[in-house]
Amino acid sequence: MTTTNPNPAPVTPRRNISRRGFLLASIGGAGGLCLGFNFISAETKGARAAAITPASGDDRAVTAAAPIESRLNAFLTIDGDGAVTINFGGCEFGQGTKSGFCQVVADELRVDWRTVQANQSDAAINPATGAGISYPTFMTNGAPVNILYATGGSGAFRNGNRFAVLRTAGATAREMLITAGAAEMGVPRDQCSAANGTVVVTGTSQSRKYGELAAKAALLPVPTVTIADPAVASFQLIGQRLPRLDIPAKTNGSAVYGLDVRLPGMLYAAVKHSPGIGGVLSKPPATPAGAKFAFPLVAEVTRGAVQKGATNAVAVVADNTWLAIQGAKSLKATWANPAATAAIDSASILAQAQTLMTTGAALPGESSGDPDGLLSGATASIDSTYSFPYVPHVCMEVMNATVRYTPTSCELWVPTQNAAGCAVTAKGLTGFTGDKVIVHTTYLGGGLGRKIEQDYVSQAVQTAMALYKKTGSGVVKLMWPREEDFANDMFRPMALVRVQAGLKAGGVALKYRTVTPSIRVQRGGVLTTADSSAIEGAAASLYGFAARNVEHVVHPAGVPVGYWRSVGYSINTFALECAIDELASKAAIDPLEFRRQLLTANSANPKAVRALAVVNAAAALSSWRTSLPAGHAWGIAFAESFGSLVCQIADISQPAAGSIKVHRVACAIDCGTAVNPGSIEAQMQGGIAHGLSAAFWGQQTFVKGVPQVKNFNAYRMLRASDMPQVAVSIVNSGAAIGGVGEPGVPPIGPAVANAYFRLTGTRIRALPFFPNAGGLADG
Amino acid sequence: MAYNLTVNGKPYSIDADGTTRLLWVIRDIIGLSGTKYGCGIERCGACTVLMNGEEKRSCAIELKEAAGRPITTIEGLSPDNSHPLQKAWVAMQVPQCGYCQSGQLMACAARLKQGESPTGIASEIGNLCVCGTYQRIREAMATL
Repeated sequence: MTTTNPNPAPVTPRRNISRRGFLLASIGGAGGLCLGFNFISAETKGARAAAITPASGDDRAVTAAAPIESRLNAFLTIDGDGAVTINFGGCEFGQGTKSGFCQVVADELRVDWRTVQANQSDAAINPATGAGISYPTFMTNGAPVNILYATGGSGAFRNGNRFAVLRTAGATAREMLITAGAAEMGVPRDQCSAANGTVVVTGTSQSRKYGELAAKAALLPVPTVTIADPAVASFQLIGQRLPRLDIPAKTNGSAVYGLDVRLPGMLYAAVKHSPGIGGVLSKPPATPAGAKFAFPLVAEVTRGAVQKGATNAVAVVADNTWLAIQGAKSLKATWANPAATAAIDSASILAQAQTLMTTGAALPGESSGDPDGLLSGATASIDSTYSFPYVPHVCMEVMNATVRYTPTSCELWVPTQNAAGCAVTAKGLTGFTGDKVIVHTTYLGGGLGRKIEQDYVSQAVQTAMALYKKTGSGVVKLMWPREEDFANDMFRPMALVRVQAGLKAGGVALKYRTVTPSIRVQRGGVLTTADSSAIEGAAASLYGFAARNVEHVVHPAGVPVGYWRSVGYSINTFALECAIDELASKAAIDPLEFRRQLLTANSANPKAVRALAVVNAAAALSSWRTSLPAGHAWGIAFAESFGSLVCQIADISQPAAGSIKVHRVACAIDCGTAVNPGSIEAQMQGGIAHGLSAAFWGQQTFVKGVPQVKNFNAYRMLRASDMPQVAVSIVNSGAAIGGVGEPGVPPIGPAVANAYFRLTGTRIRALPFFPNAGGLADG
Repeated sequence: MAYNLTVNGKPYSIDADGTTRLLWVIRDIIGLSGTKYGCGIERCGACTVLMNGEEKRSCAIELKEAAGRPITTIEGLSPDNSHPLQKAWVAMQVPQCGYCQSGQLMACAARLKQGESPTGIASEIGNLCVCGTYQRIREAMATL
């Protein structure tokens, strides 16, 4: 069979690898302005790149030689027309970070929002250290600051003090432009100010546009600039509901995701893994009908039963994706399952966890006071055990990567949360360093923590190399059919959690013991104390417990595990917030009031005071609580996660088959400073949808090593008719900035479970709520 | 054999096996990548296109079945983002990751054309959005 392309779409790589200059921190203190950067695209800056490389690290000559586009620094450029470009090293998957960066920089820079655009930075290998790099660098006060290297932990603004760094970047450029403007207009500097992309002389009509000044500003020394405290700063753009930059392209099909990359001469690969997790290919399989090649693939890292170096998958290469998928499905391969594979069995894993709950040695997490003393003779107490399944990520866009391999270069296009990691993966397989490895980050059709991982990236590079060896051309797009994506995830770990809590005159005591695999241990880590991601959400609770003990028993199950949106918080918030609700009920205290009391008991902690304000904001937003129709009930949960405080109150009615109708959710969040309230609201809505899907239906099960859920016909997720109306109240405390991508997820599950108890008198202690609900119905 | 396909008003002669699914003809052979792969079994709706004006999940439509029937993809919804749905999607800032939105828009467009009410469509549409943009889809549809 042949396929012809009647309308070949001309697709060219974004940049030509061979024409790029490559520089790293050629910095000589504060003397130059373009002080730290990684890439200079040769198209516009080739001459400068050549000029810089020699030695001095002083960029003055370079910027002077090319005044059209002045590199104020590698992070921020202003061209002769005044257009501002921000180089973004993270990834955009709907959380709005790319736009948020622009918004923050533009605020201090004092420019029209519409003149700002974001450019996706590429990643490569630092030849000096061998490490992956995917950041633009900003020079502040004589020191280089790397801006974003991977996307995770809701950390876009929190990590590396980036909110302040970004504001400083904008403010520094603004101050340099004012200095240049004053000199240009021949007036004292203190008579000049900046507004709307222009330096103006106060009280006159004299002004200069940034575009006219950028080249001159680039010659100035970098000043030390102090930005105002966010609590008192007079923001102009921060806090505004600005439209996201990526949205128009996401309404007309033009946004390019990983799966949309097309290169000249590209072939298509679909992956077939061993049906049993960790199974090893017995012998190279024959190429299936309709396909061109079948290449064995090895696992690049050890994850539970999957052993590094084991041949655990096959890439079937064909002329198009359809043929590749059909080939992968019809592949005749024999797999040998090691003992670790057969041990992956949901029933036996749960039985092991139950044994470990009583006999397992625990790693200490958090301890204060004498919880046992308080628990004995408590006036009200609970002792409840909660169970959590393995949960797949289920990104709408399956795992995929596109690679162009030659004997001298390896270029990747990946929907990744971790471009620097992709560069390291490619380096490990090819031996290339520097800019012989280039990683382009595409849009991601969801990431959810799954696209931090490198398994699919390694497979794509391996396939391109094998293809090159066979044909002399190594250009391939590799993808996982949905069935492979469901089965070969690095799942949210299962957990069994026992919570003992009691109320006595001396206060509330908490004992919290979780039996759960450690993501860190599975990745080779050694623990002497609890894995922080296994106890987050239970440890460091803002509730004023009089005594507490939190501990972790590491469960050595062989299921590959990973970071799932909100990680341990999604598990521990459920257990803790349900337990608190149970204790309130036992003590005959209103659950909202009980939480207020517990936070008030910790009022010496400013964060607990903020938390109380968030709980009160959710209470105010849910004034409907007191007038619910018959057959409805409300439930509440609170969580601090990723630097933000979130309280959610849900209104539910009697469950139908396989689901609970959630009518309304009142959601209050304090994330310190709200950059874009519209994006925060969207993330709260999305977090609630994601949390409900997981609570109601989310689980993968295993029989003798084989994952049972393969597609949406056996996996239900929230659809439009299931979506509650979410109202969001943002509490702007001005405190240290928090994340928003994940904190919306943890409270919704327990809020609904607690509402369910109020409605029915039954506690839900096992997730998912509806394990037998089936999959997505047709439609 | 070659099949004659009309996509967004343009004729194509596609020389591929007649059982090749329309989704992959559109994406890999014609080169229009706005129509997405999500599940391959007609459940998620990311691959929704119009065939004869009707909402179809292109992952399940065979090339031979699509031949001779006009197909509209997201790229053909309007030449310049001017379709009322596209305007509403931008105004209400609907997409998050955006991957499912081509399918959402095409499903809504088909049902609007059938005369269904915008609010009814928004509450009944079965297209999966893992980001959970359903509330904003409701709000966008309510502006029509």
